[in-house]
Amino acid sequence: MWMGYLRRSPLLLFVAIYTALTGGPFLWVAIMSLRTTPEIFVAPYSLPTVIHWEKFVDAWTKSNYGTYFWNSVIVVTTAVALLTVIGAMVAHCLARYRFRGARLIRFVILSGLILPPQLLVLSLFQILLEYGLYNTLTGLILVYIAGHIAMTVYILEGFFSQIPQDLFDAARMDGYSDFEIFWRITLPIGLSAILTTVTLNFIILWNEFLYAVCLLTEDNKRTLPLGIMHFMGSHSLDVGMLATGLMIAIAPIILLYAFFSETMIKGMTAGAVR
Amino acid sequence: MGTLAVFLAPALLLYFGFTLYPVLRTFYNSLHTIGPQGVQSFVGFANFSQLLNDDPVIWKAVGHTAVFTVVATLADVFGGLLLALCLFAGAPFARVLRLLWFTPVLMSYVVVGVIWVWIYDYDWGLANVILRAIGLSAFEQSWLGDPSTALGSVMVTHIWKWLGFNMIIFLAALYALPAEVLGAAELDNCGWLAKLVYIMIPMLRATIVNLLILSFIGKMMIFDLVWIMTGGGPLWSTETVSTYVYKRAFDWNTFDLGYPSAIAVLWFLIIMAFVVVITRVFRQRDKLEF
Amino acid sequence: MTEPFAPRPITALVLAFAAGIWLGAPRAHAEDVTLTVWSHEADQDAKVAFRELAARNLEKAHPGVKVKITWYEKNPMLAALKTALPAGQGPDVYYIEPDWTEYITGGYLAPLDDLIDWSTIEDWARKIWVHNGKTYGVPQEAYTNELYYNKDMLKKLGVDLPANAQFTQAQFLDLVKKAKAAGMTPIAQGVGDRPFPGAYIVGEALLRKLGKADYEKLFTGKLSFQDPRVIEVFKWTKDLVDVGAYPKNFMTLKLGESHYYFYSKPLALMLPMGSWYTGRAFVPVEKGGQPPDFPLGIMQFPAMDGGACSQCKTSAIGASFGINAASKNKKLAAEYINAMSTPEMGKRWIETIYLQTGIKAKVDKFTGPYAAYFTELMARQKGADYFIGGPLDLVEGKCKDAFGQVLNAAFPGGLLTVDDTLKRMNTACYKG
Repeated sequence: MWMGYLRRSPLLLFVAIYTALTGGPFLWVAIMSLRTTPEIFVAPYSLPTVIHWEKFVDAWTKSNYGTYFWNSVIVVTTAVALLTVIGAMVAHCLARYRFRGARLIRFVILSGLILPPQLLVLSLFQILLEYGLYNTLTGLILVYIAGHIAMTVYILEGFFSQIPQDLFDAARMDGYSDFEIFWRITLPIGLSAILTTVTLNFIILWNEFLYAVCLLTEDNKRTLPLGIMHFMGSHSLDVGMLATGLMIAIAPIILLYAFFSETMIKGMTAGAVR
Repeated sequence: MGTLAVFLAPALLLYFGFTLYPVLRTFYNSLHTIGPQGVQSFVGFANFSQLLNDDPVIWKAVGHTAVFTVVATLADVFGGLLLALCLFAGAPFARVLRLLWFTPVLMSYVVVGVIWVWIYDYDWGLANVILRAIGLSAFEQSWLGDPSTALGSVMVTHIWKWLGFNMIIFLAALYALPAEVLGAAELDNCGWLAKLVYIMIPMLRATIVNLLILSFIGKMMIFDLVWIMTGGGPLWSTETVSTYVYKRAFDWNTFDLGYPSAIAVLWFLIIMAFVVVITRVFRQRDKLEF
Repeated sequence: MTEPFAPRPITALVLAFAAGIWLGAPRAHAEDVTLTVWSHEADQDAKVAFRELAARNLEKAHPGVKVKITWYEKNPMLAALKTALPAGQGPDVYYIEPDWTEYITGGYLAPLDDLIDWSTIEDWARKIWVHNGKTYGVPQEAYTNELYYNKDMLKKLGVDLPANAQFTQAQFLDLVKKAKAAGMTPIAQGVGDRPFPGAYIVGEALLRKLGKADYEKLFTGKLSFQDPRVIEVFKWTKDLVDVGAYPKNFMTLKLGESHYYFYSKPLALMLPMGSWYTGRAFVPVEKGGQPPDFPLGIMQFPAMDGGACSQCKTSAIGASFGINAASKNKKLAAEYINAMSTPEMGKRWIETIYLQTGIKAKVDKFTGPYAAYFTELMARQKGADYFIGGPLDLVEGKCKDAFGQVLNAAFPGGLLTVDDTLKRMNTACYKG
């Protein structure tokens, strides 16, 4: 420990406060997910007197959360998987090779980070129509990928370009093909950055709702965020069900994150490239 | 080089098909007005001149977005660094805390917004309840209802949501720091503050800059949270460029996309200018080359 | 030497997966006709049941026809409509409200004069939808702006309601002061999620002071907000605000929450609200409704000194339906709307949704647990001179934006002076 014991008290205090700040609201939502809305309105902060497990079942069946959940799983895992592969390929290219048009391509891709999705959605709508992909999960997947390539490329390229060139020169001398270089050197070493983008993309896409609203109209194609919006009706805010819906939505990403974070940290500590 | 084509093709195809075309379309729309039956009429720079001369909201929106972006980015990134240092320095239960402190990042904006609107409620929201409990009831406010505190309140919520993300990135970077350098500093009898400022932070420079830029870009587009919490009010005090674009495109009684497109184009140009300047300042030539 | 690009197993798997989803999507058969309907109010069970019932009735009458209603929340529905319609992809029938005039000017609604059976629709309700001589929407929901109050709390203050249920300006201000002194919240109202509730008191006061013609002129930019009568009304409202008529969390309280505030916790003396109040109030308490023994009363909005029209009242059309101009099933769409607008359906609307309607429905006797309420509601309509439409139906563009932010929120929220408010409203609305 290179911090003296005396210094630990403010540290501990800070840790305690911040834990309360982050854990508190989450705990509150977890508690609310087991209470009904009228109970919550009467006493917002108290513990449940009756534990309403049936709310989860209700959400899954009556409010169609089951369908929304699977749609979300399909759309987001596909999109993130493809996004990672495609993005890594581009990042690798831009980081390793000098070629005509590289700057232009980099500019074009990165400028996609700046335009607000609220406007793009209208033209996207038209495009999906033309390709016959309106109101399909495939269309939404493609839109998600296209929309997030820029961020993925940006993160990965920054990381890939830091990998020492000697590794690549050595590999080339050993007769590796371009693809093998990508697959066997860039990807393993860049794994931590890749996991970062996977996590980030997953979180963002799992909760994305503007595109999902406009580009999907059938109820059985809807994704989870739309399901949550159902409880935020203009008529009444069904807080209890909203909390239940959130717990259902957040469970997989917490698991995913818990799983990946160990690998992520391990990867970062093991393969110190800096 | 065939391999290059193969590497780049899928991304570029998707990108041109689904992102570039809408972008170009937006530029195109900004020079037109869409009337009944979707008929477009070319109006040249009329939308822009109306935007620059006759729009009372846009500059407020730009101002709020700028303030929000700068302040929240700095708070986010350096707060994340602070948290990472806490964990790195050996806080107890570090592994659990790593997960717990990250949970806000995982929540959707919808729920974060709803929870924090409740926390900020005047009568029974946690914020005022706690203030009253510790005797600071002089400070209780209608946090989201008062134009002077609304933007700050939304900012706090946004920072709360994203701190964990920056923390994780920094934590990984800290673990990747070469142990020899840190050990050498210890041997040289560096105080922990000096070690922090003169050794660790410079070594983390690349990460810091990257996160600043990433955070900056993300916050410029801020929409979901503001929309859920305040809808741009009260009295336009939380109006951002994205919420204003959304309102003009979907809420105003019109199908005209020309005007909101002009707003988006203007914003795009402003950001581009800013990014170019920042890039020059940081001279990270291998990150963003234009 | 370069190796040929071999698709990685996982990428191939994912692509196959995606292709499978697309190929597996259900395809329509040529013989079925599916009528698509988009509606919001997905969270109001009675309305969902009502519209689905009409759908099933239509299907029974026309074998081979399927009516598919997609249920949305309001904002997502607006976003969806505004993206779908310009791309030629909207539903056959969709929910509309009278102030959404852009769908008419944009040419996205078909004229309905020859398609709909108008004999079952009230004339005054139809008029709202007539533009340039053609009717574009079929009104379904009608409501009046009412001032609900708690009978017991009024009694506790020792105040009696006048015979015509209308206080004078001074009496009303006095009542608010008394309520505040007794520790009650005088008026439960919140503008957290709507652009109109905060304007009820001042808006209804303006209507009664100016009379119908000038009221309309004011909100269509033909009368200046600096008119002396307008200034008087605003000064009176400011007095109410300064005394503390509205709750402290007025700016963020949501519409649904304001109902709860009024009849459950923490209780308030009055609640200005459209008569669709019943949609939230007349449901079981576990669902957020009012307690069964709640002493609900209805009073008229206060009369203004020297007012032109104390018996004026706002009535408006809410939920309506229209037919997409690009629909290929216009006749069928019209039949669906007709199916929702029969006298029996009108009666059903009133009896299950507890709300007025634009359909001609004769309910002679009110029965059931809410009979007393409806009797009192009808009593308050006697002798009323109606102004059809709320301010939101009149204002447009910048004026609409200012209405929501200034008149609805900031002014009653106590953030602006009278002068500042009037100046801002004039800048945004007055056309000179």
